[in-house]
Amino acid sequence: MSLGFRPDLLVDILPELLRGARITLELTIISVALGTLIGLVVGVCRVSHLKILNVPAALYVEVLRGTPLLVQVMIVYYGLPGVGINLGQMPSGILALSLNSGAYVAEIFKAGIKSIKKGQTEASFSLGMTYGQNMRYVILPQAVRNILPALGNEFIALIKDSSLVSVIAIEELLRRGMIVYSRTYNAWTPLLGVAMLYLCMTVPLSRVVAYLERRWEIND
Amino acid sequence: MTNMIDIINVKKSFGDNHVLRDVSLSVRKGEVLVILGPSGSGKSTLIRCINRLESIDGGTIMVEGEDIYSPTSDIHKLRTKVGMVFQQFNLFPHMTVLDNLTLAPTKVKGESKEASERTALALLEKVGLKDRAGAYPHELSGGQQQRVAIARSLAMHPDIMLFDEVTSALDPELVKGVLEIMKDLAQGGMTMLVVTHEMGFAKEVADRVIFMDGGYIIEESAPKDLFENPQNERTKEFLAMIL
Repeated sequence: MSLGFRPDLLVDILPELLRGARITLELTIISVALGTLIGLVVGVCRVSHLKILNVPAALYVEVLRGTPLLVQVMIVYYGLPGVGINLGQMPSGILALSLNSGAYVAEIFKAGIKSIKKGQTEASFSLGMTYGQNMRYVILPQAVRNILPALGNEFIALIKDSSLVSVIAIEELLRRGMIVYSRTYNAWTPLLGVAMLYLCMTVPLSRVVAYLERRWEIND
Repeated sequence: MTNMIDIINVKKSFGDNHVLRDVSLSVRKGEVLVILGPSGSGKSTLIRCINRLESIDGGTIMVEGEDIYSPTSDIHKLRTKVGMVFQQFNLFPHMTVLDNLTLAPTKVKGESKEASERTALALLEKVGLKDRAGAYPHELSGGQQQRVAIARSLAMHPDIMLFDEVTSALDPELVKGVLEIMKDLAQGGMTMLVVTHEMGFAKEVADRVIFMDGGYIIEESAPKDLFENPQNERTKEFLAMIL
């Protein structure tokens, strides 16, 4: 048996890899959704003038961005059971990815909120709106529009980063490839297949992001 | 009869820059006050203090008898009584003209969608833009945007209107339409504070003109007196430069 690239093997294992890609997509989509929610809340707290909100939010971002995602995944999966929280593989993977993504998305929201001119808030206030009403009806709708491309890029980054949860034996795309490798002793074929399938997910998405960026530019 | 606005010994500085040194001023109901002065004289800051867009370092500002800087005052409710129009329009760009006008009445005052839209369309008719209700701000000229901004403020039925250099960002040919609306408003009995460089408007519409410089009110009188017979040297210099 050749240890190089084997097209016949690739054809054989493709269904197996595709099942892994499906898990990767599930992980990513759920984590992006939760991460965006976390990022929205933390980001709004970040720009708040209240210390009780902005200090914990800044700390959150600092810690989650300052430690490796791989370590965070392991803490959630191996560490939490030690304090009585046993989530299992998928929920652990999703939790770690969401918390991590939330920190990056918070910074995106913060930048998006700060990009809206001060005059918008002054107009809202002069009409009697509260801080919350101004945020909800005036600032965030404009901020979200501005940050959509950045959120898309975060989605792409998360597809790739999700490969790290293979260390806790979630059978996502990379893990599937490694299973094939250990069975066939051929590394080239499954790993090239894995890389190819990641590209199949990220390239169309980055096209969508580029399209969004262009469309906003025209509208501005 | 009580005053609409009482400004008593107000002081305000940005760091070392004393923008308002000791300003006192009262405005009666229905009065149209024009505030003149060189840039940096504190005139914009003064009117921005009247709806608490700025903090103050000393003194008191009363709107309809209520101390707006008191920690117990309901600032959001007070602001609904004081409309403000800005130099840069500050329309909400992600909403149609109609939605710009109905947002605050529905969310702040709890008006029904139908009632707020009726009011909005009537106001848009008044400013000559009823046919643009469905347009977005970026589809309008600067003059049209500013007229929408005035209508948006009026949709809250304020008792007082503040105008902060509202024609300064407009092309010259668009200024007149905005000033006409302000004139109509003045003639309708609205209490107005107007920071402007439009001397024609000041002469024609103002009940009282105030000249500010260096954080003080230097001179105040009827427009005819201030323009034809200014008492203070700095007022004379300023008028000589711009007239």
